[in-house]
Amino acid sequence: MKWDRESKLNGLIVFLAVIPVWELISRLELVNPLFFPPMSKILWSLYLLVFSGDIPYQILMSLKRAAMGYFLAAVVFIPLGIAMGLFGWVHRILEVVIEMLRPIPPPAIVPVAILFFGLGDAMKVFVIFFTCAWPMLLNTIDGVRNIDRVLMDTAATFGLSRRRAVTRVILPAASPQIMTGLRISLAITLILVVISEMVGSTDGIGYFILDSQRRFKVDQMYAGMLSLAILGYALNQLFLLFYSSVLAWHKGLTRMER
Amino acid sequence: MRPLKTINLAGLAFFFSLLLLWEISSRSSALQVYFPPVSEVVLSLFRLMLSQELLGHVGKTVKRFLTGYFLSAVLAVGLGIILGYFRLAYAFFEMLIEFLRPMPSVAIIPVAILFLGIGDSMIVAVTVYACTWPILINTIDGVRNIDRTLIHTGRTFGLGQWKILRRIALPAASPYIVTGLRISLAIALILVTTAEMVVGGGGVGYFILDEERSLRTSNMYAGVVLIALLGYGLNQLFLYIERKMMAWHRGAAAEEIV
Repeated sequence: MKWDRESKLNGLIVFLAVIPVWELISRLELVNPLFFPPMSKILWSLYLLVFSGDIPYQILMSLKRAAMGYFLAAVVFIPLGIAMGLFGWVHRILEVVIEMLRPIPPPAIVPVAILFFGLGDAMKVFVIFFTCAWPMLLNTIDGVRNIDRVLMDTAATFGLSRRRAVTRVILPAASPQIMTGLRISLAITLILVVISEMVGSTDGIGYFILDSQRRFKVDQMYAGMLSLAILGYALNQLFLLFYSSVLAWHKGLTRMER
Repeated sequence: MRPLKTINLAGLAFFFSLLLLWEISSRSSALQVYFPPVSEVVLSLFRLMLSQELLGHVGKTVKRFLTGYFLSAVLAVGLGIILGYFRLAYAFFEMLIEFLRPMPSVAIIPVAILFLGIGDSMIVAVTVYACTWPILINTIDGVRNIDRTLIHTGRTFGLGQWKILRRIALPAASPYIVTGLRISLAIALILVTTAEMVVGGGGVGYFILDEERSLRTSNMYAGVVLIALLGYGLNQLFLYIERKMMAWHRGAAAEEIV
């Protein structure tokens, strides 16, 4: 059999090879095994933590906050972005405020949020809401501004009301760019959940990882990270699924109207 | 100087009326601890600058930021060119990269604490880790999208592998690389501030959180303003350098054509 140099199998082999190599490094004590427990031990504690319900609970807590912040931001900032893209005066009024707030690095907002909301869920939701604002807002504005003028004029010619023009023409036409904003925000959301849980929380996966490290339950720490990596990967895949289905709907609609 | 017409008067007016509203409502409110008047925040900022208390923190943050950022740039561009150019290398590592990339990079902080303690090297290490991904991915993309004719031409003219990488692949992929570098700039600041919040040990991130905990809120806001200015300044510096670098690149390209 000829060896396919670009096969996905190569990647899988390297990926799986990490496990025995890790195991070996740890068993031979090339790195202090206190910091670097054998992979078998990590996977075993991942197994235990998953089936004791510990990690699923922490992930659920984190997901709840992430979802609340993310959707709240989407509900507020996509319509705002559409308004700013459509009406020059709205854009001009808000522009300076946005340019002043945008350079604030997201973690710097965490202490402010702690001050106002304490250490509960509301704090994390606010932090995520604040951070997701920029990619969602700026991409929506861009998307709306770059809509083909002919589309809008056609809508006007056919006597579509403003509301119908927004839902039937502007939203679909700007949706690829809006989706870009949503995708960027998704990655940011996950980062911010972990940050806010590390800085001020008593549960959630970010807290779990940091806390395991502080209690020197190193295998649990790695298990938590592993589950976080899987979570990140799964969310990304889920979004891609959503993305293609939304665009499929969009395509179907345009075909139907034609 | 910008012509007067392009200054967004409406936006500025809205921004300053928000500040004024903040000032007035704060002065007449019982919640002054949470919402100190703007004037006090500005005053704190000046006081802290003069007392040089803040400058020490800024120095620490900037040092960590620059070290981490430049290390990751060198590492990721080098690695990215190799992975982009040699299909086999990419096939081997693609899966590993795809698995590690979606994991929120801040989750690496506990591991870094284990191995490196809570000093500067730990903060630099997590910054390098996090910044590597966008630069790496963009560099790989950039190199893979190079016009094959360029490389073939290089071969025809008898350039060695190393020369092709350095003289053809690197410049041709540079627009992509610059994109990665720009994304990483924001990420580096996020990681530095987060790590400072989690482990303490000085820096603006630590300062903000510490002032919040001791309820010196006007100092906290001053810290937030300062780090926003820092982020803004670094971004402007980057854009300036980018213009210079790309101008050089354009010049060099033109020269070679002649």
